[in-house]
Amino acid sequence: MTTWLKATPLAIAIVAATSLPARAQTLPSEPIVFGDGRLTIGGDAAVSFAPQDPGFFNYTDYEHSTLRILRIDLTAALKADDHLSFLADMRSENADSPRPYALYARIRPWTHRALDIQIGRVPPTFGAFARRTYASDNFLIGYPLAYQYLTSLRPDAVPASAEELLKMRGRGWLASYSIGDQTPYRGVPLVSAFTWDTGVQVHAASDRVDATASVTAGTVSNPLFHDDNDGKQVAGRLAFRPVIGLVLGASAARGPFVSRTAARGAVGDGNEGRFTQTAWGADVEYSRDYYVVRVETILSDWTLPIVRAPNLNLPLRAFSTSVEGRYKIQPGLYVAARLDHIGFSQITGLTATDTWDAPVTRVEVGGGYSLQRNLVLKLSYQYNSRDGGRVHTLNLAAAQLVFWF
Amino acid sequence: MVSLVAVSAAGHAAGATAARPGTIRGRVELRHVPPPVERRPSIAELGGPTSAAVRDLQDRARAVVYLESAPRGAFEQSEPGRAMMDQRNETFVPHVLAITTGTTVDFTNSDRIYHNVFSLSKTEPFDLGRYAVGHSKPQRFDHPGIVRVFCDIHSHMNAFILVFSHPFFAITDADGRYHIDNVPPGTYNVIAWNEGVSSEPRSVTVPDAGVADLDFTLR
Repeated sequence: MTTWLKATPLAIAIVAATSLPARAQTLPSEPIVFGDGRLTIGGDAAVSFAPQDPGFFNYTDYEHSTLRILRIDLTAALKADDHLSFLADMRSENADSPRPYALYARIRPWTHRALDIQIGRVPPTFGAFARRTYASDNFLIGYPLAYQYLTSLRPDAVPASAEELLKMRGRGWLASYSIGDQTPYRGVPLVSAFTWDTGVQVHAASDRVDATASVTAGTVSNPLFHDDNDGKQVAGRLAFRPVIGLVLGASAARGPFVSRTAARGAVGDGNEGRFTQTAWGADVEYSRDYYVVRVETILSDWTLPIVRAPNLNLPLRAFSTSVEGRYKIQPGLYVAARLDHIGFSQITGLTATDTWDAPVTRVEVGGGYSLQRNLVLKLSYQYNSRDGGRVHTLNLAAAQLVFWF
Repeated sequence: MVSLVAVSAAGHAAGATAARPGTIRGRVELRHVPPPVERRPSIAELGGPTSAAVRDLQDRARAVVYLESAPRGAFEQSEPGRAMMDQRNETFVPHVLAITTGTTVDFTNSDRIYHNVFSLSKTEPFDLGRYAVGHSKPQRFDHPGIVRVFCDIHSHMNAFILVFSHPFFAITDADGRYHIDNVPPGTYNVIAWNEGVSSEPRSVTVPDAGVADLDFTLR
């Protein structure tokens, strides 16, 4: 937690710099532009405060909680010509060194057609929330469980038996297995919102339909910059807008999940392509007047190597549902709520049958107040419940200050 | 920035009973026209924008010229006015609107996507919510001042509404020319404004049934 202390002076500086009279519109709110619009630079900064989370409900790894973090994104779009642009997002968390969260080229072969090819570290094809992870796009402070909560599965280490996996129920923040990398490390969420995958993406849009397909190095739960098993993930998304305000989306993805090293340790060479993650997603958004309602459901299957008895009941399945809504009460003030649940399929160990990870439920309610157009103070209250792990229930209050330009 | 709230009754008008109104006219020269606001880098989008927002520099070059202090009797408002601000190609049209207090502005949506007009200005905070193409929502402006208008969905969309408590103002034409008519003879302070930048007040005397010329240079 030392990084949190390191971030505090910078967080205070941001707060001090932005302590302007309420409702003034004086902070810069426009992207910085160079070269007559060729280079556009934007930014997002969010600082979140909350008490300790001993149950690791909100952690994205052993050190980073989404409720206790200073995150700064600097985004840039460089337009080479009408056909080619380069986009990047450099991200720093808790004042760590910036790293490229996104870095890709966008090619538009025909300027009059909404068809784009994106190459590099590209936005997630799968699902709806993964592209709304910036604090300014998130109604609340926490994230939907499917995109953040760490299950006990790891791509670089696998359990030798069902019994070994059951021992890690509710311990996704620091899981360890006997095959592969035996160092305790975080598990993966159903779909990662915190790293983007690397590959090629094609997107086409019309008035009513958006279609996207991609081939990338990792999987939705484990996006990668360097491939660790030579297998590629294929993902697709279709979004349909029958009327203005209504979006119906469907996504699917499949790719090898287990690393070559872990697969070799389990069943020998040449088998890593068999151990896949397959995910399906459906999402609906409806908005009108002062409210927005979103529902998203994700089903993910992982196939892991079977090493010894008691055998894993494959595939290992996780199923998540998230419902969230926002309502604007008056100019600059809104309330929001989200209900989240992840359930898991059952496996049988030496003495009992149980879900392979502990089912978890979260309710988060809160709201936001615009101190100015691009400076928002959010407050939220979270109730977490888990059927396993060392902490079964946890209530957390959180505050977040968000600034963007 | 000079606040429009400062506008108040002034006693500089001479011979108000028998005098015939005159005109203040001139030109506002802008050394630099502020460019339209660009879209934020669309990093998280699966593709580029489907349509390009219109970059209408001419609309941004329009300035508003107004009397800092209005003659007595100027505040006797007649019929409440009606004005329109359209949302077209992800742009507010016009970009600048000058109205008197009590005016209702109809915000129409001509795009095939949602827009959500709002303002957090102290003068007139409002939020019209999301509405679709072909629909319009009204907003009445009862207080003088500058209202910065945005779209909650498209951050590059913005506009200004200048609300005056008197009728002595004008928006420049494409050549930067303006004329404020029906000004009672007298001496007034006049201000030119463009995109949040105001000139220093300049004094001008309007003769009986005559014309006073006054040019400005901004930025």
